Amino acid sequence: MRPLARWALVAVAAVALVTFPYWSAQWESTRFATTLLRDALILAIFALSLDLLVGRAGMPSLGHAAFFGAGGYAAGIASQRLATDQLPVTLGAAAVVAALLALVIGVLVVRSEGIFFLMLTLALAQIVFAIAFQWTAVTGGSNGLSGVGRPMLATLDFSSPDLMYVLVSITFVAAALLVWGLARSPYGRALIGVRENERRMRALGYDTTRLRLSAFVVAGTIAGIAGALSAYSTRFVSAQDAGLGNSVRAFVTVLVGGAGTLAGPIAGSALVSFIERVVPSLLPVELRISEAILGLVFIAFVLFARQGMVGVGRSAWLRVRTR
Amino acid sequence: MSLELVFQQALNGLSFGALLFILASGLSLVFGMMDVVNLAHGAFYMLGAYVALSVVQVTGSFWIAMLAAPLALALVGLVVEPLLLRRLRGRHLDQVLLTIGVSLVIVDLIGQLWGREVRSLSAPPGLDGSVGLIGGVYPVYRLFVIAFGVVLAAAMAVVYRRTRIGMLIRAGVEDAEMLGALGIDTNRLFASTFATGAALAGLAGVIAAPVFGVQPGMDTDPGLLYSLVVVVVGGLGTLSGAVAGSLLIGPADTFGKVLFQDVALAVIFAIVALVLLLKPTGLLGRIRIAR
Amino acid sequence: MIEIRELRRAFGGVVALDGVSLTVAEGERRAVIGPNGAGKTTLINLLAGEIAPIGGAVRLAGRDVTRLRSWQRARLGLAHVYQRTELFSPLSARDNVALAVAARRGPYRVFRAPPRSEYADADAMLGRVGLAGREDVVVHALSHGERRQLELAVALAQSPRLLLLDEPTAGMSPVETARITELVAGLDRALTIVIVEHDMDVVFRLADRITVLHEGRVIAEGTAAEVRGDVRVHDVYLGKALTVA
Repeated sequence: MRPLARWALVAVAAVALVTFPYWSAQWESTRFATTLLRDALILAIFALSLDLLVGRAGMPSLGHAAFFGAGGYAAGIASQRLATDQLPVTLGAAAVVAALLALVIGVLVVRSEGIFFLMLTLALAQIVFAIAFQWTAVTGGSNGLSGVGRPMLATLDFSSPDLMYVLVSITFVAAALLVWGLARSPYGRALIGVRENERRMRALGYDTTRLRLSAFVVAGTIAGIAGALSAYSTRFVSAQDAGLGNSVRAFVTVLVGGAGTLAGPIAGSALVSFIERVVPSLLPVELRISEAILGLVFIAFVLFARQGMVGVGRSAWLRVRTR
Repeated sequence: MSLELVFQQALNGLSFGALLFILASGLSLVFGMMDVVNLAHGAFYMLGAYVALSVVQVTGSFWIAMLAAPLALALVGLVVEPLLLRRLRGRHLDQVLLTIGVSLVIVDLIGQLWGREVRSLSAPPGLDGSVGLIGGVYPVYRLFVIAFGVVLAAAMAVVYRRTRIGMLIRAGVEDAEMLGALGIDTNRLFASTFATGAALAGLAGVIAAPVFGVQPGMDTDPGLLYSLVVVVVGGLGTLSGAVAGSLLIGPADTFGKVLFQDVALAVIFAIVALVLLLKPTGLLGRIRIAR
Repeated sequence: MIEIRELRRAFGGVVALDGVSLTVAEGERRAVIGPNGAGKTTLINLLAGEIAPIGGAVRLAGRDVTRLRSWQRARLGLAHVYQRTELFSPLSARDNVALAVAARRGPYRVFRAPPRSEYADADAMLGRVGLAGREDVVVHALSHGERRQLELAVALAQSPRLLLLDEPTAGMSPVETARITELVAGLDRALTIVIVEHDMDVVFRLADRITVLHEGRVIAEGTAAEVRGDVRVHDVYLGKALTVA
């Protein structure tokens, strides 16, 4: 497909995505689909940011939710303490706080690799979670931070369900473009090099430690923005947003979707959202096992389809083409 | 802070440390042998506590639960390792990911089977009283926990250094593939190791229950979080690492909570950060960077 | 170009290098030979900055680099071909070389795809080492000899001033060995080359001067003729390797 045609298609899809609540209103009046899609898109932004680390740079982080939660708290606290709901301020605060946290944690973890890196990120993020959980004065502690301000841009109030969705979907499109731009560039290529053979990259003259740290900070910042969006949507931030469960969720999303691709985290978030939100309504109400189902699906992918849905799709496509 | 309070908190710290040792030793063992960080370790710990709940409900005996829970967890381990982990032999990172899936399944099933309310388990009669110590009274059960931890550590040290099994473990920690080449059935060895690690987690769950309760979320806090912190700080893969880590983190966490209250965990964060910066392999650990 | 003084390195209790000193002039082709365990690869790794010495100093182009890491030395113009193949396995030959070409420009360029010139330069380099037509092939689909050629292409793509070759012809057939040897022989004379080798044909074809290592020490150094006639070297090699006409 020619590049111009491809771009046109992407633009059409993006517009359709952003305007979803408006053209779906006829057949979907309960707003369930809009809310579901909104949350799936937030997860997709979160997963796209994690994929920069897991899929491109080869840094398996199990502590990514620390930045998601930090972003949410920063946006909420900023709106309350700074007495403003203006989007640039609260979203900016989320990005800055998440970036700083990612810098601090990044400096500590960036020299390790593989399983050790995984454990370190897990442990450090869990500690961030625990601080959020216990620091009642600032974060609301175990009760969480409620009354997060409604995001506003000048006089435009984004808190109506439709406009909130628009905000989230526009941010998603921006994040996807950002990640795409990073991945195709020399920077993305360098990250792949660091993943494949760090020793060689250093021998070529790349400062791999700084490359990894930069990826960690960028990924953390985007995750923080996703966390802020989550805070705006539910008007609430809980410590669980920074917890291991949320980190695992993002990791599962990336893997079952397909790490190292643009479509992977997006497809993964669709599947995970489906399992978490749609499947429970298909099961008897006493049977609350959607997490267990997610776990089984995850195990199946790790065992049999390590490249995720995108990988499965690619092999199938190749097999069809070479018939 | 009065002397009695210091003494009491010191005992609290030691009993917490003993508990951490029982919990973390299993994680350390499995990593040392198999290069796998069992992220379902917290879930095993949690399952042990819930199994103990039911066993006590049925038999009325804490002691039977203390036997039954580790056994049940050993069975779980004996199922998980051959069925799932063995298929990914050699792919250490993927094995770790697999344990995440196992954890998700177990924790959710626990909630489904036992409910999601906060439960409790009482200390067994005989150990549920208090005893007079330096100025105040102190729960007997916590003293029991300390004693149990010490005895277990000593027993493990003896097994580790003086028995054939221990020799196999030490050799396996060094180089498991070599053992295979020497004709040792590594399948059985790995399955048993994993089962033992699970059993230790389950045992920790039972013993911790009267102190920390039985509730959702215990798989991460204290379960996985604390066992990871202990082994990262003390050093992965070694018995002495687990001991050192527990002795450090137990009292540190206890005193931190007393002194700093809300941000007590920052104390732990500081210790972890310090160790990572100065000695990334942990105080007494042996790390092999496996992918 | 290279000045090494009293370089020392031990691994655990084993002393790998015990006070090695040598000087390589700019544009010189120096071979480092010696029996297994003599410390040759350790010397190369110390030169490259991958490991740090416990004593001694390394100067490159007049600059003390003892404390500099491998990536810093690479930026000063050092290129290193490893003893065991170290490439980016799932990437194509072209991508491997492109990474080296792009290294000088720094990786913090985002949003635009890498410039086509990088890939054109990569293809040109692949052509020079004899891999024309294999640009799109993924590393794990290349033969061993082709991978060693690719290694050389990657190193040369760095536009180095100093090239370290650690047993470049190891495991190669005579045909492949000859090809690599001629390639290296044909390199720009301004390029300083240090080559560790076991194959004496290659050594005598390429080297201006030879340094002989044994048990972590320099036991002989000189031109090919001088080293050939050196009794100590004969002893160390038990006469076998140097009976090449």
